[in-house]
Amino acid sequence: MNLSLYVDEQTWLHRLDGRTKILCLLGLFALSLFFSDPVYLLGLTGGVLGLVIWARSFSNVKKIWILLALLLVYNLVLWPFFVEGTIPLLTIGGLTIMQEGVLHGLGMGLRLNAMLISGLVLLSTTAIEEFAESSNRLGVPQSLGFCVSLAFRWVPNLLGSIGSVIQAQRSRGLDLQSKSLFGKIRQYPALVVPLIGHTLRQTNLLAMALESKGFGPSQKRHPIVVSTMKGGDFLALLAIVSLVIASFWMRLHGYGSI
Amino acid sequence: MNPTLSRWNPRRWYWELRHVWHDTRLLVLTAQIAAIYAAVLIPFKVGIPIIPGFVELRPANVIPIVSSLLFGPAAAWGAGIGNIIGDCFGTLGPASLFGFLGNFLYGYVPYVLWGNLGWLSSGKEPTVRSWRQGLEYLIICVVAAIACAATIGWGVELLGLLPFWLLTPAIFFNNLVMGLILGPPLLLFLYPRVKQWNLLYSDLALESSERLRRDNIATPLTDGFDPSTQFPSTSSAFVSIQDLTFRPTHASHPVLHNISLHIQRGELMVLMGRSGSGKSTLCYAMNGLVPQFVQGDFVGTITVEGHSTTQSPVWEQANRVGLVFQDFETQLVSTNVETELRYALESHGVARGFLNEEGFRHQMQETLDLVGLAGLERRDPFSLSGGQRQRLVVASVLVREPQLMVMDQPLTDLDPAGRARFLQLLDQLKAKGVTVILTEHGMEDLMQADRVCVLDQGEIIWQGPPHDMLSQPDLAKHHGLNPYTLAECFQGHTTKALPATVEEAWQLADDLGLTVTASQASESIPSKIPLPSLATVIEVKNVSVQYQPGVPVLSGVSLSIQAGEFVAILGQNGSGKSTMAKLFNGLLLPDEGQVIIMGHDTRHTGVGQLSSIVGHVFQNPDHQIFAETVRKEVAFGAQNAGCSSEECEARVGEALEAVGLTGAEDQDPFSLTKGERQRVAVASIIAAKPSILIVDEPTTGLDAEESARMMTMMRTLNQQGHTIIMITHDMGLVANYASRCILLQHGKILADGSTREIFSDPELIQSASLTLPAITRFSQRWGVTLLTMEEVRKALQPL
Repeated sequence: MNLSLYVDEQTWLHRLDGRTKILCLLGLFALSLFFSDPVYLLGLTGGVLGLVIWARSFSNVKKIWILLALLLVYNLVLWPFFVEGTIPLLTIGGLTIMQEGVLHGLGMGLRLNAMLISGLVLLSTTAIEEFAESSNRLGVPQSLGFCVSLAFRWVPNLLGSIGSVIQAQRSRGLDLQSKSLFGKIRQYPALVVPLIGHTLRQTNLLAMALESKGFGPSQKRHPIVVSTMKGGDFLALLAIVSLVIASFWMRLHGYGSI
Repeated sequence: MNPTLSRWNPRRWYWELRHVWHDTRLLVLTAQIAAIYAAVLIPFKVGIPIIPGFVELRPANVIPIVSSLLFGPAAAWGAGIGNIIGDCFGTLGPASLFGFLGNFLYGYVPYVLWGNLGWLSSGKEPTVRSWRQGLEYLIICVVAAIACAATIGWGVELLGLLPFWLLTPAIFFNNLVMGLILGPPLLLFLYPRVKQWNLLYSDLALESSERLRRDNIATPLTDGFDPSTQFPSTSSAFVSIQDLTFRPTHASHPVLHNISLHIQRGELMVLMGRSGSGKSTLCYAMNGLVPQFVQGDFVGTITVEGHSTTQSPVWEQANRVGLVFQDFETQLVSTNVETELRYALESHGVARGFLNEEGFRHQMQETLDLVGLAGLERRDPFSLSGGQRQRLVVASVLVREPQLMVMDQPLTDLDPAGRARFLQLLDQLKAKGVTVILTEHGMEDLMQADRVCVLDQGEIIWQGPPHDMLSQPDLAKHHGLNPYTLAECFQGHTTKALPATVEEAWQLADDLGLTVTASQASESIPSKIPLPSLATVIEVKNVSVQYQPGVPVLSGVSLSIQAGEFVAILGQNGSGKSTMAKLFNGLLLPDEGQVIIMGHDTRHTGVGQLSSIVGHVFQNPDHQIFAETVRKEVAFGAQNAGCSSEECEARVGEALEAVGLTGAEDQDPFSLTKGERQRVAVASIIAAKPSILIVDEPTTGLDAEESARMMTMMRTLNQQGHTIIMITHDMGLVANYASRCILLQHGKILADGSTREIFSDPELIQSASLTLPAITRFSQRWGVTLLTMEEVRKALQPL
């Protein structure tokens, strides 16, 4: 079972240093936050979609397109109730929907989509180990990064165990088809206790296995190859910094807001 | 940490939260909580969307609260990281930061509050057994839910994504409801077990502080150890163990007692003994895990290559001693083969600038060539077969070029092809001069070993060449090991040395003038006992199953099984055995064809209804055990079948009697041995009174005595009228117990017939990458196929 979104390709984006990719992602998040005008955010969403295609990772967007669509619709529907405006758009049962509210909702929906797709670019082009190592070089403690990659690695194992637990309990007549909320909640201990119990039985063994492989919790790891920033990395960073500065300037001068 | 600091003191918070990253066990616990949280979030969504795709009513949200009360600061980090990992499956964004912070608080606040609410505190352990504990639990649930919801709601509004008053109440409601409904029962189940396993944060922190203190002051860890001792002058051994006695902290007796052992460089030694004899503990002592990690009273010395194992931290010994644990699945830490090996080399003590990329590639290639994984560098370990994953674990240890390899039951989970490849690897290691120590329950496959060492109750009671071990069946039986059945066949026939191989048995038979003739053989073979009924209980009609389009797991399979049969389903890993078994109780439905169980078409009958007809005992009992007592665990299936409480009680009694556990009704099933847990699993299935019983690898991981007990139980159930379907790789079990074999290969039936018919065709068996038992190979020299020791003993007659 492979749940990771990483796509093992050799595109220019894949070859960038992990630190560059993380910094560029932060830059893209900043760009999303500068603007609230749907037109600008639509452009940004289109841009990050282009990055996904460049990274040959559009399959990952397909995996979450329902989520992206729902977020867009929900923002469009919900925000008009929270944003006041001056231009009435339509009235439903005495409730007037303002144009500003709809535009704001559309903008926020596109902002969320742009952010999530930006995240997908990083996840599609960066293996979890590279992400942990790059985070460490950007100041995140090494143990924290290692713990994240370890947990990430175990999720498929646990999902496999969950599958086995479900099958074992169904074989003993546990009815998982119950439609009621309380019916489902009653089944929960029969499913979760074996999973947690089985996992915790292994805690000592896993810790011993790690130390036996040379892992010392307070010891620094020594990467065999320390990746260095190359021309492409400086180019990418220059591009994102320029975009952030330009967007900041535009925002200060009133562009990009409703 | 200063224990006098109040739990309200931020200095204590800082120390505790930071300390998690300085202790391997706490770090593992953090990663486990994170992985459980992320994994449970995915399939257990109740599916009542508050804001679909964004916030749903998720039972998983009880995990941070429960973990917090058990594991303290590790739960805080685990909850935060688990949420980030959940986001890494598609929803990573700036809001993830606030998700991390909110969940961090959700996993930390309960720990800080429990027992620190003044007069509102119950003063008891974190479970809900009284109204005071209930009140305390309610308060911490409310506070933790507010802290989490407010942090995330504030952050998301700060980013301009959603209004605070829309998201915050939704998260609060979700967390509170799940915490209040699911938390108390989960704590009731988990608290006693976690306490029993010494994994409560209070216990871990204490042990960890003690370990840190010892590491920092670098004092000898042993009683009676002389630091000046480098290597005993009495021996030139590579590994030297002198008068070793070890009693773990919570044990009443030593698990190793007065062990002295000297192992030469390049030696291949097998440690044998029944479960609990001390084999694994001795393995853990080879690199200092005992007594540094598994703490207790340690007396004596162990040196490897002249270095004491107790004088340097475990991780520093990884270049000298490689240790491979039994459960190899969990020892893989990376997402592809190359990074797995890279990780091993980047850990303490290897890289430090001595190894460049080119050097690494060379070393990786050499190691992968050795274990037969060359060309798989970019593969996800999960996509490898069981045997390949096992060899990857070995490679990740070998890549550091340790001169001593210690492996705890490395053959247990391998199919015959995987075992053969692994035995070949042992030969290669031996040729390279690596010293190998491994533990095993069986000896037949390990004739290339230089020495066998038998442990019983923590003491070495016998050591010698494997040949001598195999040729002394009484010795093996006396110490709970599998005797070599071919040697047993000759007991009473000769005073000469008994055979240890099939070839020696042939030679001995010739020397003694013994032979097996067809007439003697036919007399020795028990006549077929007519089945009590010939009713067809399982009918599979032209069934095909595929998990992925175009990749059939089963293809055009047809068969029928009659009531009262004992059927073995054989085949290599991936041949479709487990898939076929899951068709029999409706867990899987065929893509094409029909499966009819006692007249019920599985496509139109629910798994629940079929569970009272077909019981399925899975390989790992821990995947089903959850109740507080054996009684409740065994009654679970019968209750689901709709039995009254009186009927359940009666069935529990009958089922426990059948598995030999009468009297264990009130015991905690988690505290039983693996063999006993396996029997509880069987009892819980037979309490539902199914006519058909499927058992998946029933003896994996069990020692000889436990295996014999399990299989005797299966035979008794079969004699009582149950139809037994057994999935196994163990050809000895099949020969002794199954009356019929179904041989699968690449999702098709390669052969189906009586065990004797199938075993009489060695080429057929070989084509399925299986190996005939020694007894059968011995008898086939005379053109007959015998399956058991009793048959051979009766058939062996003077010329």
